[in-house]
Amino acid sequence: MNKTRIVGVFDEENSLLAAVNEVKKEGIEINEIYTPYPMHEVIEAMGKKTRFTTAAFLYGFFGASGVLAFLYYTSVIDWPINYGGKPTNAFPSFIVVTIILTILTVTIASLFTFSARAAIFPGKVYDQPDERSTDDKFVIVFDKPGVDGNVEKLNAILKEKGALEVYEKELNLKK
Amino acid sequence: MYKTEVRGPLILGDKNYRQISDDVIAPINNPIPGWWKFSFFVALMMSLFGIMALYQTVAVGLGTWGVNNSVGWGWEIINFVWWIGIGHAGTAFSIFLLILRQKWRTSINRAAEAMTVVAVACAAIFPAIHMGRVWLAFFIFPYPNTRGPLWVNFNSPLFWDFIAISAYLLISASFWYFGMVPDFATIRDKATSKVKKAVYGFFAFGWTGSSREWLRYEALSYVLGGIAAVLVVSVHSIVSTDFAVSVIPGWHTTVFPPYFVVGAIFSGFAMVMTLMIIIRKMYKFQEYVTDSHLQAIAKILIFISLIMGTAYATEIFIAWYSGSQYEMFTFFKNRITGDYSFQFWAMVVCNAFIPQLFWFKKVRQNLTMAFIISIFINIGMWYERFNILITSLSKDYLPSSWTTYTPTWVEIGIYVGTLGFFTVGVLLFFKYIPMIAISEVKSVLKVTTLNPNDKKHTSHE
Repeated sequence: MNKTRIVGVFDEENSLLAAVNEVKKEGIEINEIYTPYPMHEVIEAMGKKTRFTTAAFLYGFFGASGVLAFLYYTSVIDWPINYGGKPTNAFPSFIVVTIILTILTVTIASLFTFSARAAIFPGKVYDQPDERSTDDKFVIVFDKPGVDGNVEKLNAILKEKGALEVYEKELNLKK
Repeated sequence: MYKTEVRGPLILGDKNYRQISDDVIAPINNPIPGWWKFSFFVALMMSLFGIMALYQTVAVGLGTWGVNNSVGWGWEIINFVWWIGIGHAGTAFSIFLLILRQKWRTSINRAAEAMTVVAVACAAIFPAIHMGRVWLAFFIFPYPNTRGPLWVNFNSPLFWDFIAISAYLLISASFWYFGMVPDFATIRDKATSKVKKAVYGFFAFGWTGSSREWLRYEALSYVLGGIAAVLVVSVHSIVSTDFAVSVIPGWHTTVFPPYFVVGAIFSGFAMVMTLMIIIRKMYKFQEYVTDSHLQAIAKILIFISLIMGTAYATEIFIAWYSGSQYEMFTFFKNRITGDYSFQFWAMVVCNAFIPQLFWFKKVRQNLTMAFIISIFINIGMWYERFNILITSLSKDYLPSSWTTYTPTWVEIGIYVGTLGFFTVGVLLFFKYIPMIAISEVKSVLKVTTLNPNDKKHTSHE
């Protein structure tokens, strides 16, 4: 959505965290925080959770069942071959292929899930509040319409907690 | 937990975040150094020789090789197992150390993973050309075909091997790539030239570093790390079953899977050490790849070397304890003594004895020594595969089928070629990809600093 945003740029993670806590205490909604590396405090402060591991488990479960079913179909139903009188449903020797292909399924499915959920894919059109956030700056973004009456207060908090710059910018972000 | 007071800061030189980005990106922006061009030229010539040998193999056939009815697997399989072994370190390094939350991996994992991808790609050449008619290699895919509903043999270790290696190549490449996405974004945002911005921007997939992206990114890396750890162990176990399920003296043994996995990680870590010493020296990354990083690798090498020694001793003991005269013959008459005793003792000395020098702090701290020892380990690991393959195949049950094996220039050429491909790949990596994981190094910078004012926030690990 294209809206006017208030962007605060910090030099230091501790001042960013202080600002985040203060802003949350005031009940102002944060749109997004951009950091050069993953920070647990930020992710927690944004109240975000992921069900990634559950999804991965399901991929694994269906992957394993699918591979075993395929092996059973090919070796027992479609084309049973007599290898020196051994049983055609040679379950123990199917396990190796099942493990490897399950891992492959989980990996590929997880990569696509990541791509979809984090919206990271080739040729993506995106708006970045501040280019320096992939280098050494910690950037916090608010919606101006959302903050409305509190703009003055917000600017004061950001400045007080040590923001290098606070500015307004038209940004097309997810929210 | 990493105790900075005991082990010192991970990143030296009191860096800030901007310096980290600048230092790591510098080789991409700087002009190509002379040694790089020279090595690239040599590697390219080696690759051309390899391509010529590969052409000879495909155009004339496997008759150009020295393999024969008794020794059906020669240098190709030795080199295949050797490369796969080297290709184990990267993923083993990043993944085991990621799961064990070892922070010192952050400076090294990128290079180790790059090496993995290139080494596994080199390894994959060998089984493909060993099929003889390489243009029919796709027959190994289990697909509904016009040859009747004829499926591959899912009970064959050779098929397991194919599945394992393809999966391993695909998974390590994607793990490596997704680790690089945030760093590509850093290059994109710092680039001044339009071309660089467009190219790295494309590969960065629109990464901005928002909390939404980091949350999933971390989840993805733990999921991939967790399951790929299983893969690392299983791939080389499967390679070992290529040997262990056949009834050949010296191969038919249950110690093979752990012995192969440990050996693979051993040669891979040695190659990581070789590569990190080169990177550190040539690109002046001493502050990121510190002495303490290299010593940590050296200590792991001592430990693995002891396991290797134990595995060799176990094999010999079991050969005697089994009471099988064929096993006794292979180990005592054809390995410890006999025509191939040089190769056997080269393996034992290089893998079990020379790395023990790392017990001495002076040796660990001397990078020239560490470099030489890491090369010796890789030579030793090559001899190990030679020893396993050639001694067992050349003299098995029937003395009438005993024979010797000598590689031809074509086989040597393919090996030289893969060394060339590997070097080309690694040099391209040096030039075009950030050699150190920028965002990961940033994440451990302040947690491992000695400056108490900076220490307030906790690491993401």
